Amino acid sequence: MASTATADEIKNAYRRLAKKLHPDLNPGDKEAEEKFKDVNTAYGLLGNAEKRKRFDSGEIDASGAEQPQRRYYRDYAAPDGEQPYTSDAGYADFMGGDDPFAEILRRAQRARANQRGEDLHYRLPIDFVESITGASKRLTLPEGGTLDVRIPPGMVDGQTLRLKGKGAPGTGSGGPGDALIEVEVLPDPRFARDGDDIVLELPISLAEAVLGGQVRVPTPGGEVTMAVPKGSNTGTTLRLKGKGAPRRGGGSGDELVKLKVVLPKPADPELEAFVSNWSKAKAFNPREGATS
Amino acid sequence: MTMDRQEFLARSGLRVQTLEFWLEQRWVVPEQTSSGTGFSERDIARARFIQDLKDDMGVNDEGVDVILHLLDQLHGLRGALARLRTDPGSSS
Repeated sequence: MASTATADEIKNAYRRLAKKLHPDLNPGDKEAEEKFKDVNTAYGLLGNAEKRKRFDSGEIDASGAEQPQRRYYRDYAAPDGEQPYTSDAGYADFMGGDDPFAEILRRAQRARANQRGEDLHYRLPIDFVESITGASKRLTLPEGGTLDVRIPPGMVDGQTLRLKGKGAPGTGSGGPGDALIEVEVLPDPRFARDGDDIVLELPISLAEAVLGGQVRVPTPGGEVTMAVPKGSNTGTTLRLKGKGAPRRGGGSGDELVKLKVVLPKPADPELEAFVSNWSKAKAFNPREGATS
Repeated sequence: MTMDRQEFLARSGLRVQTLEFWLEQRWVVPEQTSSGTGFSERDIARARFIQDLKDDMGVNDEGVDVILHLLDQLHGLRGALARLRTDPGSSS
């Protein structure tokens, strides 16, 4: 720069260099800081009319106005640590894929501050009866601590409960994620589920089948008494109204009780003798039409 | 290691109205703690950079907005790139 340069010319030259060399505009260029410092020193000298006179007359040298060490923003925006300002908008379109690159980018995004915490996934096994009636469970978390979970009535296997704010903590103002609890309904030897209905196979004696009677039937809500009509057969299905799973929007399904006639064990010789005499007089073929 | 508003103003040399405007523009986003607003060294450095843009480089407010937006993306990319380099295990 000529020593005849005006103050405006010096200012313009400084601006041009500052725009190019400012370390915060060159986050990856280590040399930018040194160069920028030199430019600043020069400007501190030349931009100051008084100092410039002394510099031009050789009184002070170019390093006369060293500035104190400054930490630039780029030092704080370095990739490690939490980042309240950095944005993923520059590569958000790369994050959609399921390739390793996208995964790493997604991780980088999660590392950003003001990020909502992750949703944490858990699996909670419950008894069949609990799935119908509802229950309160305490889940012991693998990372320590417990989580109280209220199981609403009528859950089906594989259904997921969302506990708001019970996931991983967020950073900054991001807020925590949710706990997602997948409910696993353990099979029950007695009950099976068919939509809102519950299916149960109930063994009855020959006498109850032929003569009818009152029997006790398990339901998820406890045992109830049910009337078996006279002449019931294996496969006869009786309906216990409202003893099934709760329906969405009110009401409940039914419990379907499928009867199964069970002969006494060990075999009863008296019954054998009776049936042997009785069947001679009767000509009943239950396979009529079913065999060729 | 945060400073309150008063200390931030003193160290950055910003005027109150200027800080108000910057906060409104979200050029500087201090941490919200239980005891109020906390400014960090990072916020100071960012404020100095904005001052450089405006005072030394003749950038106006619209320009600052654009530059910060792009710079934040640039640092996001640098972070992603750094992770890509130091995080080979994540491909499993």
